[in-house]
Amino acid sequence: MSSLYERLGGEKAVDAAVDLFYRTVLADGRIARFFEGVNMENQRAKQKAFLTMAFGGPNKYTGKDMRKAHEKLVAKGLNDSHVDAVLEDLSRTLRQLGVDEKEVQEVAALADSVRNDVLNR
Amino acid sequence: MTLLTYRAAAIEIEPGEDVLSALLRAEIDAPHSCRSGVCQSCMHRAVDGKPPAAAQQGLCDAQKGLGYFLACVCVPDTPLTIVPAQEAESRSGAVVHSIDRLSGEVVRLRLEHDAGFAYRPGQFLELITDDGLGRHYSIASVPEEDPFVELHIRLHPGGRMSRFIAEELAPGRRLHIAGPLGTCIYEGVDPEQPMTLIGSGTGLAPLVGVLRDALRRGHRGPIRLYHGAREREGLYLHDHLEALTERHANLSYVPRVLSDSGPQGGDVAAAALAHEDALPHTAFFLCGGEKLVGRLKRELYLKGASLKQMRSDTFLPAGGGR
Repeated sequence: MSSLYERLGGEKAVDAAVDLFYRTVLADGRIARFFEGVNMENQRAKQKAFLTMAFGGPNKYTGKDMRKAHEKLVAKGLNDSHVDAVLEDLSRTLRQLGVDEKEVQEVAALADSVRNDVLNR
Repeated sequence: MTLLTYRAAAIEIEPGEDVLSALLRAEIDAPHSCRSGVCQSCMHRAVDGKPPAAAQQGLCDAQKGLGYFLACVCVPDTPLTIVPAQEAESRSGAVVHSIDRLSGEVVRLRLEHDAGFAYRPGQFLELITDDGLGRHYSIASVPEEDPFVELHIRLHPGGRMSRFIAEELAPGRRLHIAGPLGTCIYEGVDPEQPMTLIGSGTGLAPLVGVLRDALRRGHRGPIRLYHGAREREGLYLHDHLEALTERHANLSYVPRVLSDSGPQGGDVAAAALAHEDALPHTAFFLCGGEKLVGRLKRELYLKGASLKQMRSDTFLPAGGGR
């Protein structure tokens, strides 16, 4: 059985997903305010690293950077509802790309596994 | 032979070791995060030597051409001298060639720089007085054609640098410059590619540099230059640019004046966003205040433009930048 990352199509699939995902998130009124004033190139690169992790790809995720990156946003009110919105946007992106429901659920579960790091708890 | 030099210090690096690990081992506090060549936190620039291609994946062509690379995936096989990504190379000197008013508040400053100051049009430099006062300005000249560096400087009433420029600068006066920095340059644009340049105020300076560079190199794709100003007088190169469109069939110039209600009136960002199409294939150059550049970047990206094809330069208020 090949890995989730291989089944999704590896780095090429991440590349195809990252712009679609980032645009969806930016246009999502529930969470758009948390992205105001960020450097978009850096943000896209970070989204790519996040998607690689969520796709089960090679990563060196430790949670430390995720915590640090979201510290200020938590102070601004980032909570579970916003994480839910991002996960919803991620699932929608994958469905738009024609990813099978089983894989969509697997990615969503991996992405959800960082929830406590994102919310600094 | 030293394989890795950081600023002026030789850094010990093991065979097969990446640059980031070597820097951290030498107790240099280099920023980093993913350590997989993805997040770009550990970007550095090679000022001597060529980084391996694998260390430049994911960067835009302008960055590649200027020697930027990702330290965490850079295993050098030839000697490299590197600096942090946002560090200007070194200080040099320049002499005022001429200083002219282009409008009520914009002056054109031309400087003859010392040998060794190499730049691309659209980059910026730091102008430094003897007292150590420094401000960043973008470069409108083309090194292959101009025997000087040209800057367009908006004079702010009460600004320290503005007062110095208006009252004390005259031809022959010596100044310090540092740099250049910035990736808002023509490098990496395909000659057939549509190019759209959008700027406000003296954000026109780097755009003029890039435009002249593109024309000089025989760019064949359509080029659209949008320039916004608050008052009509702020279109400080209007006649020159109009004349340039007469000579180049692929160039169009779209001026917009915020305070005007005529056909050239209105907001430059709105005009550009309403007219731009073919977004994924267009190379964008965005220069001006933080609000304008941020808005354009976001809106163009949402409409389908590629971030890698967007070069930008944000002018920050005095003290923090340009």
